[in-house]
Amino acid sequence: MRLLIINTLPKVHPLAEKAICCLTEKASECMTFYTEDMRITPCIGCNACWLKTPGICAVKDDYEQILKAYLQYDVTLFISDTALGFVDYKMKHVIDRILPMATMYTRIENGQTRHVPRYNKEFRFGLLYAGKGNQDYLSYWVSRFCLNFHGISLGAVPIEAWEEVCACIS
Amino acid sequence: MHFVIISGAARTQSQSNTAKIIAAFCEGLHNGGNTSEIWYLSDRKQWKSAMTAFEENENILFALPLYVENVPGITLEFLAGLSAKERPGTRISFLLQGGFPEISQGRCCEEFLKTLPAQLGCGYGGTFIKGDMFGLSLLGKKMEAKLLQPFIEIGRQFGENGAFRQETIEAFSIPEYLSERQIRMSNGPLRYVQRLVMQYFAKRLGCRTKLDAKPFCGKELQETQEETR
Repeated sequence: MRLLIINTLPKVHPLAEKAICCLTEKASECMTFYTEDMRITPCIGCNACWLKTPGICAVKDDYEQILKAYLQYDVTLFISDTALGFVDYKMKHVIDRILPMATMYTRIENGQTRHVPRYNKEFRFGLLYAGKGNQDYLSYWVSRFCLNFHGISLGAVPIEAWEEVCACIS
Repeated sequence: MHFVIISGAARTQSQSNTAKIIAAFCEGLHNGGNTSEIWYLSDRKQWKSAMTAFEENENILFALPLYVENVPGITLEFLAGLSAKERPGTRISFLLQGGFPEISQGRCCEEFLKTLPAQLGCGYGGTFIKGDMFGLSLLGKKMEAKLLQPFIEIGRQFGENGAFRQETIEAFSIPEYLSERQIRMSNGPLRYVQRLVMQYFAKRLGCRTKLDAKPFCGKELQETQEETR
């Protein structure tokens, strides 16, 4: 299983370090983005990635390499801090920028409107979070976010329990 | 009553659907004798004043678009910077708008929004969800006015007691899901109409490729893979 890790926690976060080290060993191939070393700005909602330059974000920063990596790896694991019971804004900025993976076209699936996917790829997304997150809500949110990107949710797990995600990547 | 309205939209005010909705909403709000001040988080220079307005006022409304099942990152960044109020009496309400037609698409975000006022030492004034707003800026002035018209009445009703009443939500925040007939139409003939309409708008915006183009497939992606290995 080829694993992509996107870590918005500081590089020196001891639990994240340990989790990344062990998960890297378990995956057949692994790539980790440390966003503290990257320039990732918020989505500006311009819709260029849907209507003007389909699939390409108009914001020119370091995010495009993450967009390409979503397509190259089997599983994406987000590692995030939390605020107000949810992921913190750094992770939300990362997730908001995923829109180019969907097209502007929509269709209705299981009673709700969904964007037609841009690529023929079944994404698998999971979340490891630090701090006081609401696990039930975060799992619900990841599952909803996966629905709209035609992906499979691996759920949300506190970073202390990172070993729980090993079964999903080995 | 005086209301502080904070737009959580990431688009600049002149391009923002949320800003247009706020303008219509305020028309109704002011018709009832209320006053308001509006802060736009898309302009970071306004953040300090918006925080002060939040601290000093008791009637707060966040108006925001749905971004990946929750609030936009910039709204979250702003919210995380607020301190919980120690003195009771403040009420926070939310006006959430999205592009999908079904209100059910906003429920996940609503679950989060419900938890926020208590975390900020405030009371909850409800969440009003409105869908089908994607085309607001694309469909021309006539359709824009039609789509915005209900917000005048929603604003008027909101202004009566500073919170979203259940009757307002039931009357205007619909449909929870599309009907069977609407689904058949959407997945049938309307699907082709939608494609043509979107292609028309895209062309007008200067798009030179297919809307379902796959820019990161093939040669470019292979080159990236080789670079990252």
